[in-house]
Amino acid sequence: MTVPAMERLVRAARDTRGYVAAWRAAHPDGKVLGVMPMNFPRELAHAAGLLPVIVPDDQEPVTEGRALLPEFYCGFTRNLADQVATGRLDLYDAVFMADHCIQLVGAADVARQLQPETPVFFGMLATSLSDAWAGQKVAEMMNTFREEVEALSGSKVTDESLRASIAAYNADRRALRQIFDERTAGSTAWAPTELQDLVASAMVMDPVEHLALLELARAEKVGQPRDERVRVHLSGHMCHAPRRELLQVIEDSGALVVDDDLWTGRRFLSTDVDEVLEPMEAIGHWYTSRNGNLPCPTRVQHDADWDTWLVESTERSGAEAVIHLMPKFCEPHMLLYPELRKRLDAEGIAQLLIETEHEGIPLEAFRTRVEALVERVLRKRPAYA
Amino acid sequence: MTVTAPDRTNRLAITRAGGQLITDYWEKLFTARDEGKQIVWYNGGALNPIFQAAGVAWCHGEAFSARLAAQQMEGPAQLAGAEYGYSSELCSYSRTHLGCSVLTVQGEGDGSGVVGMHDQKELAARLPRPDFFVNNYAGCSTGQQWDEVSYRVFGKEVPIFNVSHPFLWGNKPDAGYLKGEEWDAASKYVADQLRELISWLEFQTGRPFDWDALSESMFYIKQAAELRREGLDLCKQKPAPATFWDWIASVAPINFLPGDQALVDYFAGVRDEIQGRIDTGVQAVEGEKYRIYFDGIMNWNKLGFLSRKFAEHGASVVAGRYIQNAFWQEPQLLNPSDPLLGMAQHYLLCPTNHGTRTLDHLTLKDCADYQVDGIAFHSTRTCRAFTGPQRLLAASAEKNLGIPSMFFEGDVADASFYKDEILESRLAAMLEVIDVRRERGSM
Repeated sequence: MTVPAMERLVRAARDTRGYVAAWRAAHPDGKVLGVMPMNFPRELAHAAGLLPVIVPDDQEPVTEGRALLPEFYCGFTRNLADQVATGRLDLYDAVFMADHCIQLVGAADVARQLQPETPVFFGMLATSLSDAWAGQKVAEMMNTFREEVEALSGSKVTDESLRASIAAYNADRRALRQIFDERTAGSTAWAPTELQDLVASAMVMDPVEHLALLELARAEKVGQPRDERVRVHLSGHMCHAPRRELLQVIEDSGALVVDDDLWTGRRFLSTDVDEVLEPMEAIGHWYTSRNGNLPCPTRVQHDADWDTWLVESTERSGAEAVIHLMPKFCEPHMLLYPELRKRLDAEGIAQLLIETEHEGIPLEAFRTRVEALVERVLRKRPAYA
Repeated sequence: MTVTAPDRTNRLAITRAGGQLITDYWEKLFTARDEGKQIVWYNGGALNPIFQAAGVAWCHGEAFSARLAAQQMEGPAQLAGAEYGYSSELCSYSRTHLGCSVLTVQGEGDGSGVVGMHDQKELAARLPRPDFFVNNYAGCSTGQQWDEVSYRVFGKEVPIFNVSHPFLWGNKPDAGYLKGEEWDAASKYVADQLRELISWLEFQTGRPFDWDALSESMFYIKQAAELRREGLDLCKQKPAPATFWDWIASVAPINFLPGDQALVDYFAGVRDEIQGRIDTGVQAVEGEKYRIYFDGIMNWNKLGFLSRKFAEHGASVVAGRYIQNAFWQEPQLLNPSDPLLGMAQHYLLCPTNHGTRTLDHLTLKDCADYQVDGIAFHSTRTCRAFTGPQRLLAASAEKNLGIPSMFFEGDVADASFYKDEILESRLAAMLEVIDVRRERGSM
């Protein structure tokens, strides 16, 4: 029996190991690259013939990993350490990282120390993007990445193969973004958990295969207009997915998610690679422009303001409230949150901060708080005649 | 009835002179505006020689937070930060410093806020408003983000310059401590940015940069760093003539005091006092029984308390990552007549800017050199940079040197995370392990 397209996407999103095993069976000589979030250009690895998989928080409870990183590291990085400790990270032939988050570095270091046979390459992309020399440094690092993926795969990344990979990922991103744009414009065809699965599966799968399934899944969906629930924007979780049950609780509590800037949402889809520029130049440009398109507090760029982006986003989607989903111990988010709060308060936009954890999240307490937010917004709505 | 254990510490007398130098520095900073000086707030590596040569007054953010914590005065700034929205799990250096920023901005407005007017005056009015920020943070990603947020708290009106530092991960086969292609490339990259910083300072101050003054400052700093290194090496002596805590008391001088003859004289005094103790058989801890390595950033709220606590057990804390592997620790790299490369290299050598492979190499070497019996890991609650590799380092020390270790909770600048009973019980347990192993002849 043929498995429905959506179910295949969900499986890829929730069972990375299963997808990788199937890919290996179909590509016996192929190599799989584990890519740490958030900014490694997968196009380069794909053009070298690798399967680049963004390493997810696999939502398993942290057990042996507790002994490897402090309890005050974020849940995602403790989960990564646990994946190493329990052998769940062994499905990758190498792990590459481009982002300097000190907690992510800690998790990658655990992988390098405990799995010395697996290369763990860290090429730090410039984070201070207002500097005049940032573009040059980014270009240099992208060239280093190119050399490294070539060495790993044993295949040259030609301009032609890179252009093809760029086009494939762009097409997949565009299709996904269209779904998100439809939600912003009023469609309620997809639940937040479904959208998370669509994006999470794109982080794992080959883009051509993913796009084909995505188009099939879209064809099966029927659009629904918004109802009277309170329209909310989900903000935060910049490098891994929030728990699915939390997304469900939010919509069960009288809220309707109309937009987001989550890693497993708009943040991942924000920017295409320019197909007109020379491909290596385009890859560098992709990275340096991402933060302008959707600002991230892990970058330093004086003219990129997440708070302004948030306000404009709520105007586009009609969101009445913002729910901040802050992973506990995420320092970039903790640092910038007061600026977000201040700006949204100034704009009169209702908001709620929910601090999330990898496991043991108090769902019923969250439900009460979301319900309170919903009540607050409903009271602000104009009364019907 | 509370029984107070006798104090078995014997701290270096010279550190009092260091304390006076530090007090004088802060007083000068607090009155810098009156003297018509521009003021820079900066974080990370010791850029003060550049600021000294540029003729501006400098305030090191972490140092100011540490000072408040050491004086038990961090509360109002942290309260202001909490009211503004900073979580208590955020780096307490940054939280304290950002609280000062909030107080400064509030002080310029209506003075409203949860912190009383008296404390606002004490903190914000004494710490002069910055004319510009410079970020020079290696190792910890939070460092760069912290100054970017300071820039935003001040309404994006205070100019800022960022010096970026590649993390010394060690990808290439030739990578290692002070060697390899990545080290060379990173050193050059940071040195190039320092040149850019100097041009930027010339613009901000409206004056040409005084390169001779920089060379002069680095001449003194190199001498001071060499004397410091000599003093550190003397502490390999058994029993130890001075401890990690004495060196902690000397962090501020080497980290941010002006490069001048007074700095050299201070570290000559430190070295000479230690040598004098060796010559006359004076111990830093009465009846030294155990030699301990301290890994972790300092718990500034508990400096004196911790030194006494370890000494009560006859434990001499002889070395630590925050001392041996920080603060102009490789003076042979410094060339006063052409200083930028060596300065850049020291900024890169921040003890949180290495992968675990290098840290492991440094820790094992220090433990062997100082004949260490055990390691105390300060599990510094809000410092993810220092704490990340600690579990791996503990396992390696046990495996490679047979050295036991213990972890205790605390923080750099937030006393609420310190749990005395945990330290007491875990320290006692580790010392028992050492005793048992000695009895069995395995140590």
